[in-house]
Amino acid sequence: MAFLTEGQFTALQLLLKAPSKDVVRKICTESYPAGASKCPSVVEQTANALSVSNCEAIQLLTAFHMLSHHVVYQNLTSPEQILSLFPESFHSNLKNLITKILLENSVTWRNEALSSQISLPKLVDLEWRVDMKTASDSLSRMAVPTCLLQMKLQDTPCISGGPSESTVTTELSKETLDTMIDGLGRIRDQLSAVTRK
Amino acid sequence: MLQLHFTNDTLPDNVSTDFQNLNKLSEQLHIVLLPHQSERFLRQLTEFAGENGMSAGPLRALMKSVLLLPHGALKRNLTAEQVKADLLSLGLNEDKARHFSDQWRIHYPVLSRLAVGQTLMVNQLVDMEWKFGVTVGTSELQKTGNIFLQLKLVIRKGNTTENVYMELTLPQFYNFLHEMERAKASMDCFS
Repeated sequence: MAFLTEGQFTALQLLLKAPSKDVVRKICTESYPAGASKCPSVVEQTANALSVSNCEAIQLLTAFHMLSHHVVYQNLTSPEQILSLFPESFHSNLKNLITKILLENSVTWRNEALSSQISLPKLVDLEWRVDMKTASDSLSRMAVPTCLLQMKLQDTPCISGGPSESTVTTELSKETLDTMIDGLGRIRDQLSAVTRK
Repeated sequence: MLQLHFTNDTLPDNVSTDFQNLNKLSEQLHIVLLPHQSERFLRQLTEFAGENGMSAGPLRALMKSVLLLPHGALKRNLTAEQVKADLLSLGLNEDKARHFSDQWRIHYPVLSRLAVGQTLMVNQLVDMEWKFGVTVGTSELQKTGNIFLQLKLVIRKGNTTENVYMELTLPQFYNFLHEMERAKASMDCFS
């Protein structure tokens, strides 16, 4: 399956101009994030490290970006699977080096993708407090326990912009808390039934 | 000045007159006096007035004064005897005072529970809905098997409700359940 064109594999061979393996590694990890090939500083650094033009640097970054994302998407975990992606004519030492770098990083990249996928605002932090109400305008003497719950939610947009945090504070009576724990217990039972299967 | 249990304030003059006027009502009043349920109470009053051939206006005015006593009694957690004593001090006759204090004894637990329920609650949690499932794939990963849990909390803010949506991973869910159980244990200590 030709997902990278001949031209893009040729661009990858520009890595042969790198002075050391570490430079290759650095370029590869910097090209992974979305928009790396559009970031001027990354392009500058790559062009300088390999002594190539900015245009060629962009081609290289794009090509490696596509290759690494393909490996993560298909969850290619063995060297043979990755090696088979390259054309016959590709420089073999470089091929092995790139495969090694991809295998080293794919687990990290996979976990990063899982944690930054589209989702509803994520619960980041949780705090609670139990108070005792001793008086109110309708009763001058009472002893009613109540629970205050504060949750911090973080919404990380996938496409652009920074994360936005919001705080939700809510008050629960004893009955509400009991009902909530009932519901959560049912979720736990269903979860263990699902994972047992 | 009358020494009353249900309030320390000086009552306006018409209040004690109104209580004495209660004596004139031949029917026994079976009314469960729920605080803050004024509309239903007014409707019941108008019906009562209609059934017994009297005008609703003066009856309403009378009832407004009369209601001062149960509200004050509820607020100060008065016993039935104290309520009866106050009624007698205000000039209600023995029969009606006894009947009212009996009704008070019977309905007091319900009334105080209702008063507790009406106590101020800030951002009260009204409802919780949930679903959980498995993420099958994303644009970055063709095949995954991640379990996610989504919660929708309905919170009352003033007169409207607000929906809060959130997502939890499994470890976060277990932590959430654990914290809620700790809060419940803490609350159980006090009751």
